[in-house]
Amino acid sequence: MKNLIAITTQQASPNLSVFPTYSEDATIWHHMSEALHQSLYRVLTLLIAVLPGILAFFVSLVIFALVGMVISWILRRCLTWVKFDLRMARKTGTDWAPTTSPTLILARVAFWMCVFLGLIIGVSAFDTSYATGAAPPISLLPYLTHAVGAALLLVAGILIARFLARSVLIRAVNAQLQYARFLSIGVKWLVLVLTGAMVLDHLQVGGNIVGLAFGILFGGIVLALSLAVGLGSRELVSRSIESHLEHERTHIPEETAGAGSSIRHF
Amino acid sequence: MATANPIHDETPVADRAAADVVVYITAMPAEQFTRLIANLEAAFSADHILVATQNEMPAAAATHLRVIQKPQAGFLWTLKPSNFIDAAQCAIDHKAKAILILSQGADSLSPAVLRGLADAVLTAAIDLAVPHYSLPPHTGLINSAILYPLTRAVFASCIRFPLSIDLGLSLRMAQRLASVAQRSFAPNESDVLLWPVNEAVAAGFAADEVDASSRALPQPTDMDINSILALVAGSLFADIEAKAALWQRPRRPPPIRRTTEEVALPDGAADVARMVAAFRLAAQNLQEIWSLVLPPNSLLMLKRCSALDAAGFRMPDNLWARIVFDFLIAYRLRTINRGHLLGALIPLYLAWVAGHLNLIASGTPAEHHIEAVAAAFEADKPYLVARWRWPDRFNA
Repeated sequence: MKNLIAITTQQASPNLSVFPTYSEDATIWHHMSEALHQSLYRVLTLLIAVLPGILAFFVSLVIFALVGMVISWILRRCLTWVKFDLRMARKTGTDWAPTTSPTLILARVAFWMCVFLGLIIGVSAFDTSYATGAAPPISLLPYLTHAVGAALLLVAGILIARFLARSVLIRAVNAQLQYARFLSIGVKWLVLVLTGAMVLDHLQVGGNIVGLAFGILFGGIVLALSLAVGLGSRELVSRSIESHLEHERTHIPEETAGAGSSIRHF
Repeated sequence: MATANPIHDETPVADRAAADVVVYITAMPAEQFTRLIANLEAAFSADHILVATQNEMPAAAATHLRVIQKPQAGFLWTLKPSNFIDAAQCAIDHKAKAILILSQGADSLSPAVLRGLADAVLTAAIDLAVPHYSLPPHTGLINSAILYPLTRAVFASCIRFPLSIDLGLSLRMAQRLASVAQRSFAPNESDVLLWPVNEAVAAGFAADEVDASSRALPQPTDMDINSILALVAGSLFADIEAKAALWQRPRRPPPIRRTTEEVALPDGAADVARMVAAFRLAAQNLQEIWSLVLPPNSLLMLKRCSALDAAGFRMPDNLWARIVFDFLIAYRLRTINRGHLLGALIPLYLAWVAGHLNLIASGTPAEHHIEAVAAAFEADKPYLVARWRWPDRFNA
């Protein structure tokens, strides 16, 4: 390599004095070192630009959370002292649970308002430091926004999955379906998988692959179920329907027959 | 206690002749209505009674009673807030001293019972007179399992049928019910229930029962136990929550109830095995949800119950009382979604019904068992009050 560079240099400029090969080597290392230094400088500059913002964000959050705790404590003491719960109960005629008494609600509202204020001030400080010190183009803030959106999506998905799973479980148990738990788990995981796909899509991770994989997975499940019901479990399904109809036949007269020979819940 | 008059005066002057008793009759089949009119004629003098009805007077039925036509409505299985408002309106218009509200199937009430309901209000200074029916042991099970014991324990009321659809009301009671109906509910809401006994206790009015014979109770159009139990129990739980400041005060226990005639056990065995199977399935699958509501001791007892065979299945009365109280507290605290909560109660209720039917089949009179259940509820009331005030987190 060294010889090749030396020969090439000589051919290109025969009148020029030929530099020793070690000198060329030093130049390359010098360039590499320069590049590394510049890169390191850029990253450190970026960190220096962003770090105060991040620190300001956390400091603001912690300080306001502490202030919120103090305000909440004082508020709780004061309201307890003036028997606020008792007065509210007398005025509204409503009985408040100890865990959701007006005093506790107000104290919690005060605390969370402080935390929210701290959050806003922290984000504002971060935004300011980002805007002033961010010479290099960074896409941290937009990505953070996406991450927050994805987190909210994930929480909502988990809550919906749990709610639907419970609904299905209770309805299926009350309908006396033996596979109630299986149905409930199935619904839960379908919603969770859907949520996962949406979160990844929101984070722009995986691109089209996520959507494609999700489509294939769902389509596969539906196809598998169709085949299972249509071919494999035909007899099982027909037996299940027959037993259900049989149950209906014995169930309806029992409920609607005359008062002397039936169970009447109401 | 005086209550504000929520009723608007819109009745024509011609219909305002005074009457001692206003009988408000909700929609019912024509033949039932004809029989009921005949019973009313036998029970009351025509000068002192006025009938307001949602039914059309059959052409064949000649009566000397004064009848006022009210807007027609569909058949009801329970009284709606609009019925109370209409009845109170009629009573005010005609300066009535007593109001009878009679619903579908009231033709099976004898003239003596109808007279007794009115007399309780007119002569015995009772504000709320409720018939005490003699029902077959296999009917009115939600009432026997939850409504009666819970109302008795919480409101210290001895009324056996708190959600009765036949009532005798004093004018002030009718006004109070109308006021509550107008204040709390949209008049034509289809799934809203009013609890007259609870209102009478809250107002400090006197309530008593009038012995009545058997009666055919109208059934909900939707026979599904899931929706009936959720509606009725949910409504009672909500009413108890709204009146918590009242019932937590110490109250005198109700007087010992009069005994009623036992109705013979009907032919045909009930499907106890199916109900026990439903309970077992729930015990396998709903542990996770029950554990959010019930304390470990109750869960353990339920586990033991689920191991019993259908023929010997029993649910201890104190366990059932504890379960209902825990579900009531969870309803109040919104431990889980209220729809889920009431759905999770259904298998437990079916287990109670299975045990109750087994007891009856073994020769125990149904009323004895129901009274024992109500006594268990009363005995466990301190637990309810304690957990209502200081709900601990036993499952945290």
